[in-house]
Amino acid sequence: MTPDYVWAVIVALMAVSNFAVRYPPIALVSRLELPEPLLRWLGFVPAAVMGALVAGEVLRPGGEYLITPVSPYILAAVPTALIYHYTRSFLGATLSGMVLFVIARALVA
Amino acid sequence: MPDNSSSHHTVNSMASRFARGIRLGLPILLGYMPVGIAFGVLATTIGFTAIQAMVCSATALAGAGQFIALNLMKDRADVFAVVAATTVVNLRYVLFGATLSPHLRGMSAGKQALLAFTLTDETFAVNVSDRRSGYSTGASMAGVGAIAWVGWVAGTAIGAMVRYLDRRSIAMGYGFRDACHVHRLASRTRRGPYPRRRGGTGGCIRNRTSRARSFRPRLSWIIIASIGAATIGAVLFR
Repeated sequence: MTPDYVWAVIVALMAVSNFAVRYPPIALVSRLELPEPLLRWLGFVPAAVMGALVAGEVLRPGGEYLITPVSPYILAAVPTALIYHYTRSFLGATLSGMVLFVIARALVA
Repeated sequence: MPDNSSSHHTVNSMASRFARGIRLGLPILLGYMPVGIAFGVLATTIGFTAIQAMVCSATALAGAGQFIALNLMKDRADVFAVVAATTVVNLRYVLFGATLSPHLRGMSAGKQALLAFTLTDETFAVNVSDRRSGYSTGASMAGVGAIAWVGWVAGTAIGAMVRYLDRRSIAMGYGFRDACHVHRLASRTRRGPYPRRRGGTGGCIRNRTSRARSFRPRLSWIIIASIGAATIGAVLFR
């Protein structure tokens, strides 16, 4: 097989596999009448998944725990969370978080 | 003369909802651009052309899954290993899709497919939050997905272009970065500078390989932790 052919096969299969984990749950579950306990459980999924993702990124950057007072991730995450809490602005919190992380990294390095 | 005011109003309303989704998704664009640039640099460094890197980003929109695929391809893993790894990394989208689906009842299969294609961690967070505020519609969700897609693909294009210009500067005798340094830049942009890594080119390749392998179980734990936390929440807060 030529490299271009291999590339095309991989990219096509990646596209199909990524769509295959995204679309079927939406297509199937949206056509079902779900019981109330399952709906309640699904209601907690966003907070649970986002909490797990953010905690992993902040406390374990790069796959290794970095829980110290001088971690730039923690130094940026705490005020960013407070900014979102008080402003309820996703854009404001995102921009603040990016600036705070750059500042924290410069101060700690 | 037919009265088109109603349909005109509907089109305007859909357009304004789509535009609102784009505004909501702007923070996602800001986040995706630098990571997309890192992907573009890394992809072209291991041998993708700029077009190939962009097509990959445009059709997969898979973030971490794409980085892992690159690592495995660089290590000469077979096609099915690459595809299996990206699929496993993205299994959390099954949960996301199931969570969103009650809000997408009555929507056509085509529209559902479009929203599914742009389902990522960030679009999910924005759309769920917007849905809870009561303003979310299919058009606004499409706007969020569209701006996220643009950010990811544009970032990849910029990264590929940066790499291309860097190659030209090397060819002209002004190059100062070796391939591994570009990898390190990409990794730092993607993951931040901590923990610091040591070693030269060999160490860099070993680190990337072990990172690709260690990423999968970490993501599995995220899924397990999420299912556990959601169950606890559903039991405790009836």
